[in-house]
Amino acid sequence: MNPVIEFDHYYFQYINGKEPVLRNINLQIEKGSFTVLIGPSGAGKTTLCKSMTGILPYYMGGSYAGEVRVLGASTKGKKVSDLAMQVGFMMEDYESQLVSLTAAEEVAFALVNHGFPPEETGARVSRALAEVGLPGRENYQLDELSGGQRQRLALASLLAVHPDIIVLDEPVSAMDPDGGESLYALIHKIHETHGTTFIVVEHRVEFVLPYMTDLVAVQDGRIAAAGKCEDVVPALYANPVLRPLLPDLWQIKGGLEARTGRHFGLWRNVAEAVDELHAQNIRKEGRP
Amino acid sequence: MKLNATTWIIVTLAVTAWVFILPVKTVACILVMQLILLLYIKRSKTMLAAIGGLCVFTGMMIALQLLFGSPLDVSLFGGLRMLVMTLAFLCMLATTKIQSIAKALVDRFHMPVEYAFMLTTALRFVPNFLEDSTVTLDAQSCRGYSNRGNVFKRLWSYLVVIRPLVMRAVAKSETLALSMELRGFGANTYKNMPKDPFHAADIVVLAIVVILSTYPFWIKRVPALLPFF
Repeated sequence: MNPVIEFDHYYFQYINGKEPVLRNINLQIEKGSFTVLIGPSGAGKTTLCKSMTGILPYYMGGSYAGEVRVLGASTKGKKVSDLAMQVGFMMEDYESQLVSLTAAEEVAFALVNHGFPPEETGARVSRALAEVGLPGRENYQLDELSGGQRQRLALASLLAVHPDIIVLDEPVSAMDPDGGESLYALIHKIHETHGTTFIVVEHRVEFVLPYMTDLVAVQDGRIAAAGKCEDVVPALYANPVLRPLLPDLWQIKGGLEARTGRHFGLWRNVAEAVDELHAQNIRKEGRP
Repeated sequence: MKLNATTWIIVTLAVTAWVFILPVKTVACILVMQLILLLYIKRSKTMLAAIGGLCVFTGMMIALQLLFGSPLDVSLFGGLRMLVMTLAFLCMLATTKIQSIAKALVDRFHMPVEYAFMLTTALRFVPNFLEDSTVTLDAQSCRGYSNRGNVFKRLWSYLVVIRPLVMRAVAKSETLALSMELRGFGANTYKNMPKDPFHAADIVVLAIVVILSTYPFWIKRVPALLPFF
C-alpha cells in the first residue's frame, strides 16, 4: 500500500467542545484511490476532511493528539495554504468559497497568491476550465454562471494547482440527480486522466457507486470500517446503523447473500446485478 | 483609449477637489463631459437609471438646502458639486474593473491588502446577499411575518428577517475567510497580478489634472486665460 494520507492514533476536540469529535483514528488513504466517506450526520466526516487539509487544528484551533501525515510528511507546523497545494479541499458551501468576480480570476487566485508566472497561470486556468467543461468562459462574471457551473468552477480552481489529493465535502448536496451524476462523471474522468486521489463525503452513495474504489465509514467519531469496497461492504451491512447508508443495490446484495448463503460480485449498477443473478439462476423467491 | 486605474483614481479625487476650487461654469462643463462619457461608454437602461437616480437625489438636496434658507444660487451650486463628485465615481466604476482599482489602491496608494480585497468581495457578494434576503423574507412570511402597520411596527417586525440574514452572512464570511486562507491570500495577492502600465493617454490626462488643480495659483499670473474658465 502506498498511502497519501495517514492518520496515526488521531484525536480531535473543538475549542468549546465537551468531548472529542474524532477518537483514535487510524486510517490510510491509498494513492490514486477514489475513497468515499460515509457515516451518520454528526459522525465526524467533515472534521476528518478538515484534519486532512490542516484546517483542523492549525487554522480553526482545537485540541488534538496523534498525527496526520500528508504525502509522508506531518501536517504539524505547515501553513494551510502550502498544504492546500497538495490537498485541494472543496467545502460543502461551495458558493461562499468563490472569492473573485470572474471565472479566470477565481481559478487563478491560488496560483497568483503562490507567485506562479503569468504565462503559466494563464495556461493552467484555460486548461482547468476546459477540463471541467467551461472552456472559453474566462471572462464570465460569476453571476453569469449557473449553480452547477459555479460548482465546476470551484473544482477547476482546485485542479489548476495540480494537487495530489482532492477532498470534496458533499459536492452534490444541493444538486438535482442529473447534475449530481454529471458532476461525478466529470470527477471520475479527472480521476482517470490524472490519477488524482479523491476523497469524497457523500450521503447518496448511488452517485459514486460506479466509480468508488475504497470506502470509509465513520460512526461516533471512530472509523467503523475502512478499505476496499469489497472488503468493507459485508461489515457495513452487518451494522444496523450503517446499513441504511449503503446504496440500495448493495443492501439487496447483502440481503440476498444472507438468504442464499452465496457471494456475489460488487455490483456497480443494476445491469451488473441482473446479469449475475441470471447467471447464478437466482429467482424471485431467492431460491436457486 | 483606456486609462490606467491609478489615473482614474487620481482623476476622481481631483474632480472632488475641483468642484470646490474651479468656477461654476467650469464645473458645469465637467458635468457635461461626464454625462457624454457615461453615455458613450454604456447607453443602457441601467446607466440611465443610475444617472436619473443621482439627479433625483441632487434635486432633493437642493430642495432641502432651500428649505433651510440657503439662497437659490448657493443651493444650485451645492447640488451641482455633489452631482459632479458622485458622477466622477460612477465614471471610474463604469470604465475600470474593480479588481484593477483594488490593485492600484494597494500598489500605488499603499492601501492594506485586506481593505482593497473588501471592495471586490463586497461586489461579489451583493447578488448572493439579495438572493438570501429574498429567501429569508419568503421563509419568514411562511411563518407569519407581515410588514403591515406603521413605520415603527414594520421596522420592528423586519428584525425577524434581518437576524437570520446576518447569521447567514457571518457563516458565509467564515467560509470565505477559510477559502482565502487555503488559497494563500496575503501580501502576494496583488503583487503577483499582471502589471497595469501607464500609457501616453494617462500622461496627458494627468497633466490636465495638474493644470486644473493648480488653477488658483497660475490664473493670477496668466490673467489672459481667465475667460476660458
